[in-house]
Amino acid sequence: MREIISSIKRTPYQSLTAFLVLLLTLFLSLILFVSLSFINSGLSYLETRPQVTIYFQTKTPENDIFKVRDELSASGKVSSIKYISQKEAFNIYKDMNKDNPLLLEMVTSDILPPSLEVYAKKPSFLPEIAEFLNKQNGVDEVQYQKDVIDRLLTLTGILRKGSYIFFAYLILMSIVVLTTTFLFKIALKKDEIELLQLIGASKKYIRAPYIKEGLFLGNLAATISFVTLMGIILFISPFLFSYLSGITRLTFNISSFEIIVWPLNPIFFAIVYVISLFFGSAISYTSSLIATNKYLKV
Amino acid sequence: MITFDKITKKFPLGNLALDNISFEIEDNEFIFLVGPSGAGKTSIIKLILREVSPSSGSILVDDFDITDKKFTDTVNLRRNIGTVFQDFKVLADKNIFENISIALKVTGIHHHDIKNKVKEVLKLVGLEDKDKYFPVQLSAGELQRVAIARAIIGDRKIILADEPTGNLDPKTSWDIMKIFKRLEGKKTIIIATHNIDIVNSFQKRVIMLKHGKITKDLRKGGYEI
Repeated sequence: MREIISSIKRTPYQSLTAFLVLLLTLFLSLILFVSLSFINSGLSYLETRPQVTIYFQTKTPENDIFKVRDELSASGKVSSIKYISQKEAFNIYKDMNKDNPLLLEMVTSDILPPSLEVYAKKPSFLPEIAEFLNKQNGVDEVQYQKDVIDRLLTLTGILRKGSYIFFAYLILMSIVVLTTTFLFKIALKKDEIELLQLIGASKKYIRAPYIKEGLFLGNLAATISFVTLMGIILFISPFLFSYLSGITRLTFNISSFEIIVWPLNPIFFAIVYVISLFFGSAISYTSSLIATNKYLKV
Repeated sequence: MITFDKITKKFPLGNLALDNISFEIEDNEFIFLVGPSGAGKTSIIKLILREVSPSSGSILVDDFDITDKKFTDTVNLRRNIGTVFQDFKVLADKNIFENISIALKVTGIHHHDIKNKVKEVLKLVGLEDKDKYFPVQLSAGELQRVAIARAIIGDRKIILADEPTGNLDPKTSWDIMKIFKRLEGKKTIIIATHNIDIVNSFQKRVIMLKHGKITKDLRKGGYEI
């Protein structure tokens, strides 16, 4: 550690440049990663919502609704149908607005429509199901979310591809800038490296101080990026809680592991920190290795 | 044992540094390489150190052909050689203790042993009270002592010294040579020098070089131009 501090003190501007580049790269990468995690888990959440919701007029007899339900079930295109009566709808409404007595006072079960939540076996069946439902008596509104999901899927795809390109660019830029910075540092120590080679130092020994310094800067930048990101998330968390109030859980899967993104979860943030440490270390290790190789042709 | 067998060294621009020379140096032998500037003394040192490769011929160090392309153990070869460079190669940003200990550190010796060994060698070269000094605070003679201390510390079997007294006044030169004298019989010592008085007084083996060729190989010294 003393060697690292001493090396940083001897070339403070080069070390600062390396640190700032790493900080920028890791901070932007973390923001990208966290944003994509939220978007992906949000999309997964939307996909689990009813794909078609049919709201009936309030005075539609339950038997008519059951008739529609049974016809849909018999079509073989539906995986499940859930009936939400006016009473159940009111209970859901009460649960969602339990903190707002004024809203509860204004609404009774009579004004809430009964509904059917339909999950299709295949997304391709959705237009057909929606068309059938629109023709039924007593139907007030058919909410059909395929378009929304399709648009979100397209948007996520573009965002994901864009993020990969941006992330790759950030990594490449960091490696180039860091390699150049390390080359400057090494050039200042050219005589020492030459001497070390002549007295029998191994390549590993000569590289060690540069790699250690790189790893130190990489880990420091990763930690500061993470702490800054956590600060921002905590700062905007009241907004997040209000914005995502109806959503109880957002998750995404890594292999067979389900990672909870929302509500804010320490495991997710531990993964974020480990990823930032990994990339901070990998970028600085690669850069110092490339830079030292140039001077280590024995 | 070091064996030069028909060594020729040509530099890229065509300068002939060594021209088909052969000689052998026994273990623990004390030997002077003498000759005018450009005779090839430094080239011999650089070849033993594997800092440059010969254009033709082979060099054996302890039966290992270090000119063979298959020879990959340059690190260990150099760990057996202590070199006193013409320009000292003392690192300005490290103190004397650090400059000397670096030769042990590269071999992976434990910090505690390094401390003791550096103390011993500093005493041997007469710099025991200057371990915390920086190079800028030392005279040329003292810097040369530092360079010698770094070369002789540890178990390095071969000591190469390229003009170790080149930049020093006569008195300091003698003091420096006394350090080498103390190592006689314990290590193979090869000194490239111009200093006639020193070579004559030591009465050791002398290899005389001129235009890259060996002109004389005298078992008991005597330097004539």
